[in-house]
Amino acid sequence: MSRSLRGAAVVGIGRTPYVRKSGRSTLAMAAEAARNALADCGLTPADVDGFTCYGTADSARPSQVAHAIGVDDLGWALSILGGGNIVTTTVSGAATAVLSGQADVVVVYRVLGSDTRYGQALGAVEVAGESQFAGPQGYLVPPQWFAMFCRRHQYEYGSTSEDLGAIAVQQRAHASNNPHAVGRTPITIDEYLASRWISEPFRLYDCTYEVDGAVAIVVTSAERAADLPHKPVHLLGAADSNRFGGSVDQWDDLTCMYSRDTAPRLWSRTGLRPDDIDVACMYDCFTFTVMATFEDFGFCKKGEVGDFFREGRATYGGDVVVNPHGGLLSEGYIHGLNHHYEAVLQLRDEAGDRQVAGAETALVTSGAGPYGGALVYGTEAL
Amino acid sequence: MTDTRSLPPQPVPDPDTAPFWQATGAGRLALCRCQSCRVWLHPPLERCRVCAGSTAFEEVAGTGVLYSFIVQHRPTVPGYLENTPYVVGLVELDEQPGLRLPARIVGVDPADVACGMAVRAELVALPGGDFTVPVFRPLSGS
Repeated sequence: MSRSLRGAAVVGIGRTPYVRKSGRSTLAMAAEAARNALADCGLTPADVDGFTCYGTADSARPSQVAHAIGVDDLGWALSILGGGNIVTTTVSGAATAVLSGQADVVVVYRVLGSDTRYGQALGAVEVAGESQFAGPQGYLVPPQWFAMFCRRHQYEYGSTSEDLGAIAVQQRAHASNNPHAVGRTPITIDEYLASRWISEPFRLYDCTYEVDGAVAIVVTSAERAADLPHKPVHLLGAADSNRFGGSVDQWDDLTCMYSRDTAPRLWSRTGLRPDDIDVACMYDCFTFTVMATFEDFGFCKKGEVGDFFREGRATYGGDVVVNPHGGLLSEGYIHGLNHHYEAVLQLRDEAGDRQVAGAETALVTSGAGPYGGALVYGTEAL
Repeated sequence: MTDTRSLPPQPVPDPDTAPFWQATGAGRLALCRCQSCRVWLHPPLERCRVCAGSTAFEEVAGTGVLYSFIVQHRPTVPGYLENTPYVVGLVELDEQPGLRLPARIVGVDPADVACGMAVRAELVALPGGDFTVPVFRPLSGS
């Protein structure tokens, strides 16, 4: 049984502006992104028979968004509960639906709105499940969990604030060439080090830029893609892993993440190696997520990420360009689907001032902690 | 009317976790343990994930080592908005490698907290009146 996604491609991409507060519903933003993605590939709502998204009960549902743009008969609708860790599953799930004939054209979207944003804990809070042990301790939200990971990495491998800062500075520099990014003003390492603590060892610039907005991508068969306006971007393979029931507290080694298990699976399924990757859209809910997953995917050894970034190996002219759009840290937090948008833009040679010359492969990772995935896109099918 | 932001998050016990809270309320720190293969299970489960054996709550010594920690500076979590900075750690209990509890680390200046510290649990009332939670304090001389 083949584990490849050979035969599936992304043919269209769309998005809304990213802004701090849009004053718009998630339904309105998702509909705009979906319409833009279809317009991008010359298809109409009548061509679409599949819709899927992920979310944490904070999003308009696939059936609602499809209806809102004029799809009358939706044959395949899948809403997946999860955050950044589930992006790969959602996109590869859409590809699987296409490859198995459950759908011909699938829109994958993610929308975030400030009215429904996860992580706002301003009212009375009750915590069930595993959170009932952590929440009462004042330990409740993602920056705290991944700062906990980061501290252990610093303890075992001697990584430093300066190493985290090198990632933040690099990504902001990339975002300064991205008109769609929310955080475009370059920062220096001194400004990074002077920024206020949030959850120490995380400072302000270790955390993402939360925004309102939506991204949509259109997945169909490579066969169908041949008739559409853009050069298709092929899915070369995907992998996920999930241990400890997703528990960040019980995960066995906080110096690494899901990618410890995902990476060998992905490289095995695609036959690719880190050296083969031109663009790496690394999921970056926090700087440390880039550090841990970058090590796990084998771009460098444990504790070497700071030097890798400082030496210019993670930018243009280096080994691999990491988050040319600025990532969640600087472009904006669209929960990782904006990484897919960027990967497609780069592989279509349409990224303008920030184009990675000759980009043929892009790694897109998703998630942090014990649960996540990654996939590889290519300009040519494997 | 109580200002809801002044209370920390309140646990919602379920059939698997209720014995934990009953034990802390009675002054004991107890965790779920398989009665067949004797592995400790946290979060608790009705049946053992290793051997499917039945489980029960057994008292732990309350001693362990600080695996990692954060210093929370930004007022974020209700009940702690006026208490920053404070330290939260993951304590690896002496009973079993990898058996960890998230808990506040008290009685020590945040600047003096370090991974690897030996710590001991004590039970304190959670504001709100219904629950007792463990916090950990460095063992003297560690």
